[in-house]
Order: sequence, then C-alpha cells, then structure tokens
Amino acid sequence: MRLAASAAALLVGLASFPAAAAASPSAVNAWYLYGSSPGALKSYAYARACDFAKSQPGSGVRLLLLDFGAARKLDPSTWGAIDFSNTTLSNGDILAALKGAADGYHNCHVRGGVDILYGNSNYHMSASGMSSADAWYAGYHQSERSEDLSDYQAAKGYDSETSDAASDMEPSWDGAAITKQLVNGDQGQGWALYYDFGSADGCPRSGSVDGPCNNGWHVSDVAYVSFHGLALPLPEIYYSANANQWTVVRKWSNANQGGYFFAGATASHGAGLTAASAWSTLNSLNSGLVDQELVCFGC
Amino acid sequence: MLRLLMCAGGLCALATGTRFAVAASGPRPEKAAALMRQASVATTDSNTEPADPPEAAPQPIPARMLGSGAPVPIPPSVLQARNGWLVSNGRTLVAVYAGAAGNDPSLGRLVIVRQDLVAGRQTVRTLDAGPTGALTIATAPLGSSVETSAQGARISVRRDDGPALRLDLATDSVGSG
Repeated sequence: MRLAASAAALLVGLASFPAAAAASPSAVNAWYLYGSSPGALKSYAYARACDFAKSQPGSGVRLLLLDFGAARKLDPSTWGAIDFSNTTLSNGDILAALKGAADGYHNCHVRGGVDILYGNSNYHMSASGMSSADAWYAGYHQSERSEDLSDYQAAKGYDSETSDAASDMEPSWDGAAITKQLVNGDQGQGWALYYDFGSADGCPRSGSVDGPCNNGWHVSDVAYVSFHGLALPLPEIYYSANANQWTVVRKWSNANQGGYFFAGATASHGAGLTAASAWSTLNSLNSGLVDQELVCFGC
Repeated sequence: MLRLLMCAGGLCALATGTRFAVAASGPRPEKAAALMRQASVATTDSNTEPADPPEAAPQPIPARMLGSGAPVPIPPSVLQARNGWLVSNGRTLVAVYAGAAGNDPSLGRLVIVRQDLVAGRQTVRTLDAGPTGALTIATAPLGSSVETSAQGARISVRRDDGPALRLDLATDSVGSG
C-alpha cells in the first residue's frame, strides 16, 4: 500500500514538470561501420567509442550504436555480418571489435555510462540464402555476443558499461516472417535488449488499425519486431511522416497488447528533420511515451 | 536511456538519467531483467588502468563499386538505392549511394556518407538531381592508387534516359556530364 502511494506521489510529481519532460535530449553519434578487414574494424570501433566517450553529454547512460551491416550466415556454423564496405565479418570478428569499443570507451571515459550495441540489419537476408531458421540463429548469436561483451566488460572492471543488441529492421529490405526471427532468436538467447532502429516504411500515417506497410508487412508486424520479447523501438524518424507511422504502430500495439513505449529515437543529419526535431516530433505525438534517448547518424 | 524500473499498484515508472517516462502499464516482464541491468550501470570504472589500444595504423579501402550484395546504410524512406561507391585512405572515407528519393521514384537522389576517422566525425548529405528518374553510378575512380585523390573526384552518374550527370565530390554538386 505504501509502495503504491509512493508511486502515485511520483506520478503526481512528474506531472508537474511537463516542460522538462518535453525537452529533446542531446544527440549522441551512431556509426556505420566500414572495415577494410576484421583487424581494421577493431581499431575503428576503439576510436569511435573513444570519440563517443569524450563528447558524451550529461551524466546518464547512453547508447553507442555500432551498425555492422547486414546479418549473415557465413557458413553452416558461423554467423556474422557483411559490413558497408562489403567486408564479411564473423561474430568472432565483431566481438573483437566490440571489445575494442569497450576498451576505447574506458580509456576516454569522462562522465556517465554507456550501453554498447551490436547493431545489424535485415538487409536482403533471404536473397543471401538465409532461411528463417538462419535468421533465428543470427538473432540468437547476436545476443550471445552481446552477453560475451558484457562478460568482458565485467572482467575488466568497466563498471560504466553494459551491452545490448540492435537491428535496422526495414520492411522494404526483407519479409516480416524472416525478420521476426531475428527478434525471436534474441529472445531465445535471452540476454540482450533488441533495439529496433528501423522504419515503419509504407505503414499508414493515421489511425490505429493493422494496415498494410511496404513489402507485405502490416502495422502489427512492425509492432512485433519493435516490442516483442526483448525488443524496444528506437525508431528512425527522418521525416515527420515517420513519426506519424510509428504513432500508428504504438496506438495499434497499445490497443491490442498494451505497454508500448519508445526507447528514444534514431535520427540522421541530412534528412528532413534535425535530430532534435525528430525526437520532439515523435514525442509530440506520443507524449510521455518516448524515453530520453536520441542516437544520430551523421550529427 | 532507461535507468530504473519501478512498479507499484499496476503503474510503472521508467526512470532515466535525466527524466522519467511514465506509462500506465510498464514493459512486459521479459524486458524487466535487462532494463534493471541497465539501471545498475555505474558512472565510474573500478578499473583505473588504461587498456592497451589496438594498433592504429591507417587502414585504407581501395576505391570500389558497391553492388547489390553490399548493404546500404541509407533507409529506403530516404533512398531507393541502385548502387554505391566507396573509398578510404584510412583517415577519411567517402561513400556515395545513387538511386531515387524514397517517396518519389522520379526524383534522382545521391547520398554521400563521409567519415573523418581522425576527428571522429560522420556526415550524411543528400543531393537531389531533379526529375531524372533513378540514378546509377556509371564510372568512378577505382583501385588503391586513388584512395585520397578520388575523395574529391568527379563521378559519372547514369539516368535511365537522357544525358549522363556528373557528381563533383569537391563541391558536392550534381550537374550535366
């Protein structure tokens, strides 16, 4: 009873600070990884994490999103990614790079903490020959490597760090069924939060029904990959239309399943909205349901 | 960034480093453990010794075309990509992606990703070429001898019909070829 009363008091207190709740967070940089080799990737990730630590705003824990490219099955027993330079990376290579990022953040740490994310995407998984089972294992091993990174961080005494996973899941890039398996595999392994920094491409911009999106997806599919299991939405908000589409996803999910909220927003410099406007636009349509996180490619 | 999860009486508050996000019903139980793990992250390290940095020698990427097998970082809502091109001298990197605007296939579009690997900066620039239809990179410098010079080069861009265009990377402008 006393706990409930305390929670109620907290809610009343929070409600008295609407202006502070609506302020956009400072953006932190996210990176597309282009590696000439697996070895190059480690020094690249080390340097980017050091940059991140030096410029990290505030004293909170922020997301360092490293996008390693498209999830891939490399051989019958090896999963990994193909990065943006078309370099093939095993999960072992990626873990080495993530450890480099952990070292880089530690060496350059100034304030706050970090959650280092192993990011990939659903880009053309089917076309590369991956089955739904392969995608499940891709998500499973992605989470497993995130846990391996956490073990490394703990063993090294990097108490200001933790690790999770992320995926740029775009309806236009592959089917809903195979993409859901990334989320399911992550949940099956059970460690990593799975941030969806993808889009709701082609979804309706108003209403709350399970309307169609690009490539045979529906609003419910986007809701699934962004909130099922350990998934959390960190949606791409590059144009105001994106915020409208994600609001439909939220409304559908809350009407049918409940509890949906946004872990923040993903922005990009050079798109229609500035980073701050991306977060504010999403928040204006989902007041109180957008967490204080803003990652940005190219800011 | 979620820092703390508090639930009572069916109401859950998600406490963050700088604010609280409040939901009428909290995240599902399967997320709770991971969210609590995040909440336990400290702001200092118990290890005060620096880690050994990796070897930091520049790692160039010879200029190369990027075909359909290479993932594209630009989302389809921004660019319906046809192909790309990439070069890095290990200190600075330029990637160009060609195609059409995500919301208008008649609008030719180029997206340029630049990374300054020394200063730790990344920029993404979108250039619209007008009603050209989707664009494809036709010819561009290739190989290891142009890893620096090609970053300011001119790239020939093909349209489905009509004369070729030229992207000038020194000025980030698109003009007739």
